[in-house]
Amino acid sequence: MARKRGRGMAACWYGIARTATVDRAAAWAEIDDGGSAKIVTGVTEIGEGILTVLAQIAAHEIGVKPEHVVIGDNDTARAPEAAHAGASRQTYMIGNVVALASREARKRLVDVMAGMWDVAAETIRTGNGEIWAENTNHRISMGEAVACAKNRGVVPIGSATFGTDTTAIADGKDGDGSGRPWQAYVFGCQVAEVEVDTVTGEVQVLAVWAAHDVGRAVNPQGVEGQIEGGIVQAIGQGLMEDYQLKDGHASTSGFAKYILPTSLDVPRVNSIIIEDPDPIGPLGVKGIGEPAMVPTIPAVMNAIYDAVGVRVFNLPATPEKILLAMREKARRETMATQAAE
Amino acid sequence: MVDVRLNATINGRKVSRDAKPHLRLLDFLRDDLNLTGNKEGCGAGECGTCSVFVDGVLMKSCLMPVAKAQGAQIDTIESLAKSGELSVLQKAFHKAGASQCGYCIPGMVMAATAALRANPFADREEIKERLGGNICRCTGYQKIFDAVELARDVQNGRVPATALLETDTADGEVIGKNVRRIDAPSKVSGRLKYAGDMTMPGMLHVQVLRSPHAHARIVSIDTSAALAIAGVESVITSADVPGKDGFGVFVHDQPIMARGKVRYVGEAIAAVAAEDALTAKRAVAAIKVVYEQLAPVFDPDEAMLQGAPVVHDYAPDNITKHIPIRVGDVEAGFAESDLVIEESYSTQAIEHAYLEPEAGLAYVDHDDVVTVVSPSQNITHHRHMLARIIDKPISKVRFIMSPVGGGFGGKEDMIYQGMLALLAMKAMRPVRLVYTREESIISTAKRHPSRTTLRMGVMRDGRIKALAMRMVCDGGAYGLSTEGVMRKAAILAAGPYNIPNVRIDTYGIYTNNTPSGAFRSFGALQTQFATESQLDIIAERLGLDPFEIRRINAMRDGATTHTKQTLGSVSLMRALDAAEQASGWEAGAPTVRGGTRGDLGHDDVRPSVTLGTRFAATGTQEAAE
Ligand code: FES
Ligand code: FES
Repeated sequence: MARKRGRGMAACWYGIARTATVDRAAAWAEIDDGGSAKIVTGVTEIGEGILTVLAQIAAHEIGVKPEHVVIGDNDTARAPEAAHAGASRQTYMIGNVVALASREARKRLVDVMAGMWDVAAETIRTGNGEIWAENTNHRISMGEAVACAKNRGVVPIGSATFGTDTTAIADGKDGDGSGRPWQAYVFGCQVAEVEVDTVTGEVQVLAVWAAHDVGRAVNPQGVEGQIEGGIVQAIGQGLMEDYQLKDGHASTSGFAKYILPTSLDVPRVNSIIIEDPDPIGPLGVKGIGEPAMVPTIPAVMNAIYDAVGVRVFNLPATPEKILLAMREKARRETMATQAAE
Repeated sequence: MVDVRLNATINGRKVSRDAKPHLRLLDFLRDDLNLTGNKEGCGAGECGTCSVFVDGVLMKSCLMPVAKAQGAQIDTIESLAKSGELSVLQKAFHKAGASQCGYCIPGMVMAATAALRANPFADREEIKERLGGNICRCTGYQKIFDAVELARDVQNGRVPATALLETDTADGEVIGKNVRRIDAPSKVSGRLKYAGDMTMPGMLHVQVLRSPHAHARIVSIDTSAALAIAGVESVITSADVPGKDGFGVFVHDQPIMARGKVRYVGEAIAAVAAEDALTAKRAVAAIKVVYEQLAPVFDPDEAMLQGAPVVHDYAPDNITKHIPIRVGDVEAGFAESDLVIEESYSTQAIEHAYLEPEAGLAYVDHDDVVTVVSPSQNITHHRHMLARIIDKPISKVRFIMSPVGGGFGGKEDMIYQGMLALLAMKAMRPVRLVYTREESIISTAKRHPSRTTLRMGVMRDGRIKALAMRMVCDGGAYGLSTEGVMRKAAILAAGPYNIPNVRIDTYGIYTNNTPSGAFRSFGALQTQFATESQLDIIAERLGLDPFEIRRINAMRDGATTHTKQTLGSVSLMRALDAAEQASGWEAGAPTVRGGTRGDLGHDDVRPSVTLGTRFAATGTQEAAE
């Protein structure tokens, strides 16, 4: 058989938000005229879907529809600090702080309505663009409630800050690395199924099953998108991508020479989302952007070994390397047989 | 050269305009007609984001000279939702979550439109082949295939059009639902403006002079000939920096343009702002730099040796950062072990290859606020650094984060924003810089290449007794995120396993290579590749199933990490169980049993492909059907 299949697996762990330092973020929220919500925080989409996640979180906390949430621009002169778009921190840091700011804005509105309706604030519910008091006939739209608040001189706004309880690690000269680098950890495991062409050395990753803890999935489709994208980037690194320098000069300075995964290189990704809520943040969310990429390469290398009995220690596992390793393996085996004879 | 008079039909409208003959169709559409929906990702026909229809045929507009469009009918991404109503395919991209950063999406939508026109019944495998000329760096393509299949089925009436609508949240439950992405309509229609799509009145165009040498002293820079060129407004070098120069995520070791010496090929030396990009390019070529070559160092292990060339004076040993982790006594642990395995691993440098090359706009506003608009992943930190570099209070520095066409860590560094700010201050006009793909690849950060030695000692029952790892990473010419990458790599190196004796050392080293920086999975990818590979090697030796050996060592609730932190809930066992069950894993030691396993080829596995068979042998395939 020219093509051989195999399977491999690998696990991973990862820390969420900035490493070994105190992370923090802030946000402002306003329940606006007409019952929409306005969120201002230092965040812009880098593709991960954060704007949608924040809209869902604000909608959930305030009780409006996600399409009625407007998110302001990320601008150091116009928005509170939310710091960087990286470290798998956006849903955790900004998501949690938007929830807190939204809660405060909602509380302002609820307090006004509780006074107007003469009910306890705890009996007031919001959702789907409406506000009502339990076991009463009081029910109006959020837009009407905002108008009520404004007639009483109240603009329903909130603000919040969210910081981590983390420390540096002891990484000085005689340090042992001890410390509390993160407050939220995630774990994951992936299985890869590959097919190796024993004539060309080419590896196809046919499927990956990816199980990842994300704390709580705000938007499962977005989580899958992160897992699928991360796995394919890892396959790029594992099998084909290679930035090469000769005496400091790049020989792979365009996409013609720098090979990237295309639609024909990608596996079927089967995502399994695990929700082990973070006990510290108000939402239970964690993160997924980076951890999704970590187990893929070893899972694929373990699968290649399972298929053809060669292990690639030096990435990427190009067809040439696989063939060379297979030839080397065959040579060793022949020698062993001859020696035995 | 004289302009060409171009007569064409563009998005259904007659256009008659003069165009510079050197333009590509893409430039003409984007710069002259302000149709910025289709993007430039590579300028070389490799990525497909520039794809438009020319007389109904899908073409890469970056490869087409504008004169070739004479008399043609051109349709760009803007043509698909002209009335404001998205096409079925665009709606399907929205519904399926097929756009992430969105930069590839205009081209993807065009290619997918072409695919379904060519074959309205194309199956998933054919769709993949028809999208083979388009690169997406974010999505992993899966949701794009889903979107095209959904559009196909709606168009063919196999699925009702209501399948394209928003997920129902009428029950008030919003979290945990697949709410459609709020940014998707702007991306699938090409309406979203990335920094390179933005213009301002009076805007100048910036080009950068880059070092051809890996390590050289700059003897002199003469910009006079460049400044003498008509249309050149300003030229800057490090001499124009008013404050304390230097940026970096941890150490501020990188000047915004080379100062005194160059440390890698592609390093910025000077920048020009001119009325148009071509003039700026000519001015860059007219700058004269005299260099004195210095001995370079390209190998991190060599850079650590006594007497190696020194890249930065402050680090005479070329060590950017060393991170140690120590638990117990590893030597005692190895002595106790039944089996000790040592192997070496290496990983290569890779490029982020976000589809959007670096781009930015800067201006000084009416209140003297120096403003930079760019796809920066960390405007908070950038404004701190820029304020110091241009010697202004923070209140006079403003960063606006434009939509990011892919980042993956590669846009965390303030690589070009300093030059933009300086030029805007000097010219007192808006300035814009758009990198070419080549510039982006040679001058910005890569993933740290690594060399790792890993020694693990285990008991016969699979318990890991000791782990010692040493990883040396090439950090390249500047620090950027190296310190943080070494830290995360070390903290997570031993994996989520209880190991009583651990010794980990990660080293980030200066060399004269392209700098390494932040890249999704930030060092943890390199170290865990080694650890997870080695666990399988050990499992084979011990005759243990790979899941089993991990379960034996797995951290559980309340575990203590290798940095001596006590964890709360640990979800590792759940993840192992879930992956094992979902994949229908057949238990057994990893003894090259691929040929005999019974768990292969389930229906959640894609078919393998033989490249080009469909197109190469369409005739035969049809005949066979
Ligand atoms: S193919 Fe034209 S820009 Fe990439
Ligand atoms: S969504 Fe395709 S490149 Fe970002």
